[in-house]
Amino acid sequence: MAERKTKKETAPKKETTAAVKKQAPKKAAIGEQPEAKKEARVGVFICHCGTNIAGSMDINAVQEYSKSIPNVAYVDNYKYMCSMPGQAVIDKAIKDNKLTGVVVAACSPRLHEPTFRTATKEGGLNPFKFEMANIREQNSWVHMHDPEGATDKAKDAIRIAVAKASLLEDLFPKSVPVERAAMVVGAGVAGMQAALDLANAGIKTYLVEKTPTIGGRMSQLDKTFPTLDCSQCILTPKMVDVGRSENIELMTYCDVESVEGYIGNFDVTIRKKARGVLTPKEAEARGIVGGGCNGCGDCEAVCPVVQPNTFEEGMKPRKAIYIQHPQVVPLIYTIDKESCIKCDLCVKICGDEKRAIDLNQEDEFVKVKVGTAILATGYDIFPIENKTEWGYKRYENVITSLEFERLICASGPTGGHMVRPSDGVAPKKVAFLLCAGSRDNTGIGKPYCSRFCCMYSLKHAHQLIEKMPGCQPYIFYMDIRSFGKMYEEFYYRIQDEGAKFIRGRVSNILEDPATKNLMVYADDTLLDRPMKLEVDLVVLAAAVQPAADTNRTRKLFGVSCSMDGWLLEAHPKLNPCGTTTAGVFLAGACQGPKDIPDTVASAEGAASAASIPIHTGHVELEPYFAQCIEEKCAGCGMCVNLCPYTALALVEKDGRKVMQVTEAKCKGCGTCGGFCPGGAIWMNHFATPQIVAQIDAFLLGGEQ
Amino acid sequence: MAKIKGYPEALEAKLRDRYMYGDDAHPEFTDSVEKISMTIPHMCYQCGTCTASCPSAPRSSYRIRKFVRRVVLGLETEALTDPDLWLCTTCYSCTDRCPRDIAPTDVIMAMRNLAFKRDIIPVNFLKTVQAIYTTGHGVPNNDVNRAARVKLGMDADPPTTHTYKEFIPGIQKILDYYKLKANADRIVKEREG
Amino acid sequence: MEAKHKYAFYLGCIAPNRYPGAEAAAIKTSKKLGIELVELKGASCCPAPGAFGSIDLNVWYAMAARNLVLAEQMKMDIALLCNGCYKSIWEVNHKLKHHDELRDGVNEVLKTIDMEFKGSINVYHLAELMYDKDIVGVDKVRDSVTNPLTGARIAVHYGCHLMKPKKERDFKDQDLLNTEAPTWMEELVAALGATPVEYRQKMQCCGAGGGVRGYDIVHALDIANEKLINLQDAKVDALTDICPFCQLQFDRGQIEIEEKFGVKYNLPVLHYCELLGLAQGMSPQDLALDLHAISCEPFLQKVL
Repeated sequence: MAERKTKKETAPKKETTAAVKKQAPKKAAIGEQPEAKKEARVGVFICHCGTNIAGSMDINAVQEYSKSIPNVAYVDNYKYMCSMPGQAVIDKAIKDNKLTGVVVAACSPRLHEPTFRTATKEGGLNPFKFEMANIREQNSWVHMHDPEGATDKAKDAIRIAVAKASLLEDLFPKSVPVERAAMVVGAGVAGMQAALDLANAGIKTYLVEKTPTIGGRMSQLDKTFPTLDCSQCILTPKMVDVGRSENIELMTYCDVESVEGYIGNFDVTIRKKARGVLTPKEAEARGIVGGGCNGCGDCEAVCPVVQPNTFEEGMKPRKAIYIQHPQVVPLIYTIDKESCIKCDLCVKICGDEKRAIDLNQEDEFVKVKVGTAILATGYDIFPIENKTEWGYKRYENVITSLEFERLICASGPTGGHMVRPSDGVAPKKVAFLLCAGSRDNTGIGKPYCSRFCCMYSLKHAHQLIEKMPGCQPYIFYMDIRSFGKMYEEFYYRIQDEGAKFIRGRVSNILEDPATKNLMVYADDTLLDRPMKLEVDLVVLAAAVQPAADTNRTRKLFGVSCSMDGWLLEAHPKLNPCGTTTAGVFLAGACQGPKDIPDTVASAEGAASAASIPIHTGHVELEPYFAQCIEEKCAGCGMCVNLCPYTALALVEKDGRKVMQVTEAKCKGCGTCGGFCPGGAIWMNHFATPQIVAQIDAFLLGGEQ
Repeated sequence: MAKIKGYPEALEAKLRDRYMYGDDAHPEFTDSVEKISMTIPHMCYQCGTCTASCPSAPRSSYRIRKFVRRVVLGLETEALTDPDLWLCTTCYSCTDRCPRDIAPTDVIMAMRNLAFKRDIIPVNFLKTVQAIYTTGHGVPNNDVNRAARVKLGMDADPPTTHTYKEFIPGIQKILDYYKLKANADRIVKEREG
Repeated sequence: MEAKHKYAFYLGCIAPNRYPGAEAAAIKTSKKLGIELVELKGASCCPAPGAFGSIDLNVWYAMAARNLVLAEQMKMDIALLCNGCYKSIWEVNHKLKHHDELRDGVNEVLKTIDMEFKGSINVYHLAELMYDKDIVGVDKVRDSVTNPLTGARIAVHYGCHLMKPKKERDFKDQDLLNTEAPTWMEELVAALGATPVEYRQKMQCCGAGGGVRGYDIVHALDIANEKLINLQDAKVDALTDICPFCQLQFDRGQIEIEEKFGVKYNLPVLHYCELLGLAQGMSPQDLALDLHAISCEPFLQKVL
């Protein structure tokens, strides 16, 4: 014991290699194990969880049985083991009975393992001398109608846990320093807000954006609900702040190329896509003093190549050298390499002083080190033409809501004159189709609710009524989901303003080839009457889906996604910004459809969470890493290639090769330990003798 | 003041609708419709896409959405005795468009199957059965057509059960296996004497 | 030409017994396109999916399975020329191949007549084969034309049961899975030299299916009438179909519509095989077009 105590003091402070060196001999002494087991005095604490557990099994029978398990020195039960008195029971029992290990039979370790580890520590033991037996999620809740079976299963679970608890060892979490910088991927409103919060908290933040400008979807919107502020007006100050912040390093037109490392120490490689245009800084680096792009636009004027502007949803042209809109940040032109014909006209007009244009510029790679990262990759519009019944892309006057935003926006392709695409005439009757591709279980659309379509469609209706007297909006809906603050009031207002609500989903749309008017077919379910409505324009509130590059990006950061592709949070209620990868957080719609207030709130949450490890300065890693028993290691190196986290390496030691673990990188997955042909890898807290004891305890039913 | 005729019984009858379909809600009806149709009407969210797609709806009181609703609630008698049940042309437009991936057409077919078990069926369906039982064809050959076939250089009868009559007993065996002919004959006789 | 593809030719009822020209045309035109259609002896009604499906789906499965087994015994895939037949023969084949319980039930019945459904063949609609460039394809159809139907404005009635419900179909060409605005039949019509014409509600049902034509003929005709109005507005010379039952509804239906609603359209209605026959040089007599309720004469004068 004395020897182990010394380790407790030294281990966390030692460098990785040293720590392994010190601990390895102990692991080699596996022969000591039976003796340790003989000394073991385990306490078993059975939780009722009110009636959650006690209602489905015989607690007394479980308690009586537990007393008979070898190495058990004390058994108790309590109504709520996690309560303060419950924890006190454990604390007292450890001291009174000189326990060496603790087993709590209760819920899932995901919920209360930290609680009981603390209680174990309070009692004077190493917190890792605690083992949990799950008799709730995996037992009482699923065997509610079989109390006898549940009781037997609980006995098994406790016997198995005791077997392991008898062999548990003292472990000491490793502390690693955290790099004082963060990265935010995606510079829409979520990414911008997160970056601003981090920067304002004094943290150096790299803001990586794949397009040439920051601003994202929100900069495409005209007005926001329910307040009807101009979206650009409230967004551009933030864009300017981001551009000016000393702590934010803006990396537009950049992709994350690779990510290595772990919380506190992520090494991220960024691909700076060749813009073809130099910033003043880049120009200076090339010795062009006072040069680089100043956003004058002379190049754009001479460029002969015309392409659709994606920011305007393709409804306005742009040149091969372009900025997406007048308010871009940074104000630097970009060359669309795909369509540029290298005619050199832009180079000539840019002139010898600025020399901002380099048609042969190549992609560059930049490496940065960050402590934490936030993904804010946002959403795209679902390709609604796949729902063929509504004729998007087949009929000119069927548009998406995002196209509507651009058409009604004063800075949009029509200067804010709401006209229909076929003939440029102002529409008099407009149909809005809600749930276009959302709440769709056909496999073509999306099964989820896209969450903000109801509200922006109400806003669209308002804009038509306000801007175009005499124009009648019809809203085809199944349910109006006005869940946010002041949203239901907004619904009331729009109804009062004269929008017509028809409770029915549109089955199909047909076009009159002569007038390009649209026949909208639906069932007015409230009147119980099928209807056909002729309108001038149809606006599809198309479903949203994760942005195109989301899947690639999430894999780089080791983040999971749910079945529909949205990034998976660590816990849907209690940890919505975290992920299962320590140090990586989620902001905004990449986690699921969100309106602007929810997006900003989520971004601030993510920024706060991402700043905690940075401000703490170090993080404790669970000590579940692999260790090499060097005496047994043959240096074959097969484990090195198997490791999914590149945590293992072969090193020279005393004239032979042995494996070495970078503990901070190791996630304790056990792939190497399970594979090692020589049994030379010791998995902390999941060591072979511990697991074998559990298996024996189960298969032998407690007989030795 | 004169007493209103039939009260309070008439009022009782009027109020019956309030009792949440008490007398006529059979969960097992929902189950059997789902089993026969191999689809999931209980997942309907009443959006009306089906009715809006239906060629029969605008020219009749037939509402497929309401039939699916009746299945959800188990309103067996109300569904099976409604003559609109037989106005579905089985065009499958509703099935193609249903966002909940239900096949409402197959729900109707399943209900028609269940109606037949109660002898509820239009006679024309049974006459098709009778024609196939005797000839193997729902629309059998006739003399005008035979003459035309000969003129085209074809056999007067096509190489189906019309020419190969030895296949007809096999067809009859299949129909008899389900007692279809006997039931058809009985119901037609009851209706037409 | 040596026939590269051989199919058991499933006739159904209405083609052989009401529009024998369509049957004759199918055999002759297919031969010119490298398809040999072999007699499927002893086949019966598919049986009518609306009528039998409504009465008892189990009978529908068993009766259709009997027809399938006849082709299985010939070791040949089936080709047919009727959407209704396609619904029964293709769909029952598909269902029995994929649902063990259904297949076992059907085989129990078939055992009483010494038959067994094995699921060893596939089922195709002739129109599908003509469009499939691995079998025939639009180009080959165009090449086979000797009498182009130049100047004729022809609209297509796709019908329902070939393509719908699309989620149960497995056509390899995406346009055959487009049940909202397909154009593959128009391509086949254009290949004959005619002008394909779009019209309102092109994909709407003819109104005859599901037993409705027998149950409530006025209702059924009202649906057909709506389409006829739309066709008249589109100024077409003829309507082509790939389903003899739809053809009956539009052709004979026009006489009934005149009787019941007092409106007259005189719109010739031809099966695509009949049209193809004309384009390949078959005479109206070869196609027994005189059996049609609505005279094809004005149309024929335009194209012959």
